[in-house]
Amino acid sequence: MLAGMAAVNPEVCYDREGEVIYRRKKTEKVGIVSGGGSGHEPAHAGYVGMGMLDAAVAGNVFASPDPARILNGIEHADSGRGVLLVIKNYSGDIMNFEMAADLAADMDIPVRSVVVRDDVAVKESTYSTGRRGIAGTVFVHKIAGARAEAGGTLEEVAELAQRTADNVRSFGVSLSSCILPAVGAPGFAIGEGQMELGMGIHGEPGIEQTAMKQASEIAEIMVEKITADLDYSGAETAVIINGLGGTPLMELYILAGEIDQKLRAKNITPVKYLTGNFMTSLEMAGASMSMLRLDDEMKQYLTAPCDTMAWKEG
Amino acid sequence: MGFQITPKEYVDYIILAGEEIEKNGEYVTALDAKTGDGDHWVNLNSGFQKLISMQEELKIMELAPMLKKIGMTLMSAIGGSSGVLYGSGYLAASKALKDAGALDIDTLYIFLQTELNAIMERGKAKPGWKTMIDSLYEGVEAYGAAKEAGQDERQVMEALKRGAQEGRDRTREMEAVKGRASYQTNKGVGELDPGAVTMCIQLECLSDYILNHKL
Repeated sequence: MLAGMAAVNPEVCYDREGEVIYRRKKTEKVGIVSGGGSGHEPAHAGYVGMGMLDAAVAGNVFASPDPARILNGIEHADSGRGVLLVIKNYSGDIMNFEMAADLAADMDIPVRSVVVRDDVAVKESTYSTGRRGIAGTVFVHKIAGARAEAGGTLEEVAELAQRTADNVRSFGVSLSSCILPAVGAPGFAIGEGQMELGMGIHGEPGIEQTAMKQASEIAEIMVEKITADLDYSGAETAVIINGLGGTPLMELYILAGEIDQKLRAKNITPVKYLTGNFMTSLEMAGASMSMLRLDDEMKQYLTAPCDTMAWKEG
Repeated sequence: MGFQITPKEYVDYIILAGEEIEKNGEYVTALDAKTGDGDHWVNLNSGFQKLISMQEELKIMELAPMLKKIGMTLMSAIGGSSGVLYGSGYLAASKALKDAGALDIDTLYIFLQTELNAIMERGKAKPGWKTMIDSLYEGVEAYGAAKEAGQDERQVMEALKRGAQEGRDRTREMEAVKGRASYQTNKGVGELDPGAVTMCIQLECLSDYILNHKL
């Protein structure tokens, strides 16, 4: 899979030993590294390139890469100005990335981390892992990447990345399950004519199963869940209408139209939309909405040029 | 003079532990299928088998670099959460024992205590949460108490083993706070934690190795 991604994108190289996709052209700037289990393509290798990530580290399907691989990604991304790790909030990812950060520190590579926890379907909790990181992570890749490209220091890049993570919320609905290749059977079932609200991108349980709803009702649920969690009123926002892998683009555009109406009725101004498959769950049918509350600096870097397989700007 | 475990002998213990883990495959996997996703034994076993395949290389190393090598190997070969937890434990122990040439009653205690603290820190988990920590924690506590009470080395090793077994057995009534079992409505109550079972196997082997070969 990664070999194929490198084959179709001349801007990146594939380190087969370390399961890392990294930028062919290394420039002197803060490096940005992300990664996680496979099965979420184009995340994360599809975001490696100018203006976004310098390296993406892949684990097995839905399993975190180990620290040695992540360290390998850090080394590919490091040009002497330090490396920022963008981590989705899952206990396995956190442990492996933190361990890799410790190993990098032993090698005198300065490393900072930002943990994305945008899924409002999960309650925050002190003891358990808390909110999952899902498609909102892509905004962090973009804005941190642009800040680094513009010559930001590790502190500056990390601060803006954290602010981006703090201002993004997401909510997803699933219409079908997905099959892990190694297991060969779905880990859970969604009945015919049913949908699950708030399911995780690995099929973790959501809030409830309900009868299938119209796009306008789904849009209503997404917008309400997200805006109930963060005050977006009067704000300019960026929105990802994300397909989970098995949903036609046509349906995503229908959903996008409904969401746009509901946002404008709430005095929220979307200034940037991304519609398509940005963080998938194998062949799962369904969609998620992620919305970022912008300030001037985030907006500037959101719209700055980037050139990756999955997101091109300028 | 008390026991001394050289790096070469530590590898002998690893081989014993690997064989014992190998034997318990069906049991651990059946347990894991009830509360987790069923891959714990497969992953842990491949980590230990990898170490066994590297025994010649490991046996000629100094203690601290050998522990580091074991940690890095387990991290990659086990993968997932168990890999990084065992890896963190061994890497921290390697740092803590950088001047030690062998493991004796004192440095082995430092080793286990350091491993315990590193695993708790990395996993952000505590004793009582139905994890591998429970076996290690009770084992280390019993080791420390026996040593403190001035018991002989044989009794201290017996205490380590008994503590680990008690810790493992207590996980049966605990509710899982982390990991897949925590998503279950009964939080895995009524079943032993597979991670505590495999951690206990290692501590039993360590204790038995010392009791049978060194004391």
